[in-house]
Amino acid sequence: MAKSVSSAPVQTGSIPPQGVASRHAAPERWDKPFSADMQEVDVDLLLAHPLFVATDPRRFPASIPLRGILKNDARVRRFQRGEIIVRQGDYGHSAFVILDGAVRVLLKEPTAEQLGHRRQVRPSVWGSLARWWRRPRFAEQAGNRGSAAELELTRDGEARIFLQDVPGVLAPDRTALLGTGEMFGEIAALGRTPRTATIVADQETQMLEIRWQGLREIRKYSPEWKQQIDRLYRERSLRRHLAETALFWNLSDEVLGRIADATRFETFGEFDWHHAYHRGREAGERERLEQEPLMAREGDYPNGLLLVRSGFARVSSRYNHGERTESYLGKGEAFGLGELISGWQGKFRPLRHSLRALGYVDTLFIPTAVLEEHVFPRLTPAQLATLTKGLAPEPAAPPAAPEANSFLEFIVAQRFMNGRAAMLIDLDRCTRCDDCVRACAATHDNNPRFIRQGPESDGVMVASACMHCVDPVCMIGCPTGAIHREGLDGQVGINPDTCIGCSVCAQSCPYGTIQMVALHDAAGQPVVTEETGAPIRRATKCDLCIDQPSGPACVSACPHDALVRADLRSSESLNRWLHQ
Amino acid sequence: MKALTRRRWLLSLTTALLALALTAAWWLAGSALRPVDLYTGWLLLGLLLGLAFFNARKKLPFLPLLAASTWLQIHLYVGWLACVVFALHAGLRPPGGRLELILWFTFLLVALSGIFGLWLSRWLPPRLARSGESLVYERIPRLRHEVEAEVLALVRRAEAETQSTTLADFYLRVLAGYFARRPPLLAPLAGDDARHHRVITELAALRRFLNPRESILADQLGELLEAKRNLDAQWAGQRLLKLWLFVHIPLTYGLLVLVGAHVWLVLHYAHRL
Repeated sequence: MAKSVSSAPVQTGSIPPQGVASRHAAPERWDKPFSADMQEVDVDLLLAHPLFVATDPRRFPASIPLRGILKNDARVRRFQRGEIIVRQGDYGHSAFVILDGAVRVLLKEPTAEQLGHRRQVRPSVWGSLARWWRRPRFAEQAGNRGSAAELELTRDGEARIFLQDVPGVLAPDRTALLGTGEMFGEIAALGRTPRTATIVADQETQMLEIRWQGLREIRKYSPEWKQQIDRLYRERSLRRHLAETALFWNLSDEVLGRIADATRFETFGEFDWHHAYHRGREAGERERLEQEPLMAREGDYPNGLLLVRSGFARVSSRYNHGERTESYLGKGEAFGLGELISGWQGKFRPLRHSLRALGYVDTLFIPTAVLEEHVFPRLTPAQLATLTKGLAPEPAAPPAAPEANSFLEFIVAQRFMNGRAAMLIDLDRCTRCDDCVRACAATHDNNPRFIRQGPESDGVMVASACMHCVDPVCMIGCPTGAIHREGLDGQVGINPDTCIGCSVCAQSCPYGTIQMVALHDAAGQPVVTEETGAPIRRATKCDLCIDQPSGPACVSACPHDALVRADLRSSESLNRWLHQ
Repeated sequence: MKALTRRRWLLSLTTALLALALTAAWWLAGSALRPVDLYTGWLLLGLLLGLAFFNARKKLPFLPLLAASTWLQIHLYVGWLACVVFALHAGLRPPGGRLELILWFTFLLVALSGIFGLWLSRWLPPRLARSGESLVYERIPRLRHEVEAEVLALVRRAEAETQSTTLADFYLRVLAGYFARRPPLLAPLAGDDARHHRVITELAALRRFLNPRESILADQLGELLEAKRNLDAQWAGQRLLKLWLFVHIPLTYGLLVLVGAHVWLVLHYAHRL
């Protein structure tokens, strides 16, 4: 195989002698606390608060004391009336508990602009022509960037966003009130799902914000907190999630309630999986596979159904001394159902495949007994036959060649199954004319939003363009919500007016598809800050030409049918394009 | 049948039928002493303008003017049709007049460069894909420079670490010249890079003079040479894929100017102007 020269520096040296090795302290869990402002006195106040009075610190291990969690994984924040705390659709990594004050949950969502998101542009020919006519002479001009009226930056650089028209939006008939001691945001924090509602401070409010790592530990070691978090999850989300799962359609509320009561929540892998992904990119496939947390082992007998709530899992089977990927599971998909039904029918079979977490996977575990009592008897013989199809071994059939799955292995190894609109280029057809790049630049401030280069497999390149992921880790931690889902198809867009150039999204994106670009003035000179003279930057990425009437310009500009924006969750359409 | 193959068959058949129908109409009109040269001339002018608009469409990606792939298909098959109409209009032999002769040859060159480009854009990309990692053309000179610097550093390290000049001599004798050389314009058409194979063969022949540490460094050198081979292949291939357009498009503009002059002259001397 040809040596890659573009992605990594060429390895030329041997391991340096120990005498010249740079020495650092071993990284520890709390090297980077959630907030540097948390002092011991704040922790004392929190421990004396009614919220934590019942929490027994002795239940926590010495290495992860409750005090340490509160000091390092939590912070106390104050919000002004009208200040947005969380927005519907944003991806958060923390939960909030109201220490003092009150917040309002918006039952009717305000407009995108009121929330600091980009104004939705309806694609039109005239709009495209007007944008082309007004295109800047130099790429990324600061003149195109406004300052959102609702965005405020504090002295320490923290971004705060306020609602416009506070009395109108916070009218009691359009909101629900949460008071002191109540918690919210725990579902998004632990389940890595979008925030389900926008919540705004109703008055000056003091909140305890706990990042997901701390929340996970508190839930693990404090039965009271576990009970409360699980109760909230069952009340607010689980039953709806189960009702949306095909296996449980048409079940009565009572039966769904029983299933919900028996369901256990399990998580696998690292929440911040993109860090591990960056570390593991250079590792071999076998090594990478071994690092993936095992959720279920091939050959074991299942004792319940695993339902993927968020994230992705690799389905693999042993092949001599290695493992080959058979498929991958995403949100709403189940593992072990066929084997469970077969067991219920009296033919006990072990699991045919192993299941491994690809990054962070949040699952629901439903015990066999509940399924056998409430679900399996309701299935028709045809459904049972479909679900157990392929379970019986077929000794006459030769095993499939492992290399036949190489593109699937590639997608899973690179975690591209996360992509809803990945840019695939058929290298057998692509003439490298760069018409796609020029079209992208012509429709985006003279600056293309992707790089026509990326990993390749089987003559197909996954170019470095935003994939508008199912699990958009870039959205976690954006301080202003400038990066957000927009459009009916859930494209991930960046509002240039509220992007403060902090580069959190660019650093989080595992695929490196977000570029920080320096702004220029009308004369093409760089724009710098008044205080430090540092260049002002903003994040840019593919927006899937949401404002173009003909769709993504890269696709329509390719003369050779070599480029497609593909949903990598759909193997059918992908195969159709690959074999067109 | 695959979708793209089906499309190719369908469009080829349609174009062939159209060409036959036009030839039949031309023959019938000629038999009826109609001014067929005028008809075919106007038709050819329309076809040429339509063909030239493909390039204009590329400059307007923000307008919903059909996908570029649809335009390319139209361009290809209308191009074949234009060749037939040109043969009906101007004949298969070079004409007598000086302007007409230049026009005749310019059309021929535009058509041939287009056919060459079509063949090249189908033939070369799979070979580039098999050659190795696909790279951005503008980045290749920098990457080549980096590889060259890596090779030089490696050779120097080999000499310093092993007190042996085998690899350094090899660099001076073979590699310096190999890295200084750029692939010729038509190198991608020649297939395998024979020079690269010679260098690799010579490196292999040196193995018996290398100690274990030098052998490890020679392996790394082999990887760098392979990277250089791919850089050259990608650069030369992409250059050729771009360069044929630098022949086809300027010739097209020239053809349109000549066609304009031809039309003006024809109309002028036919007393229609």
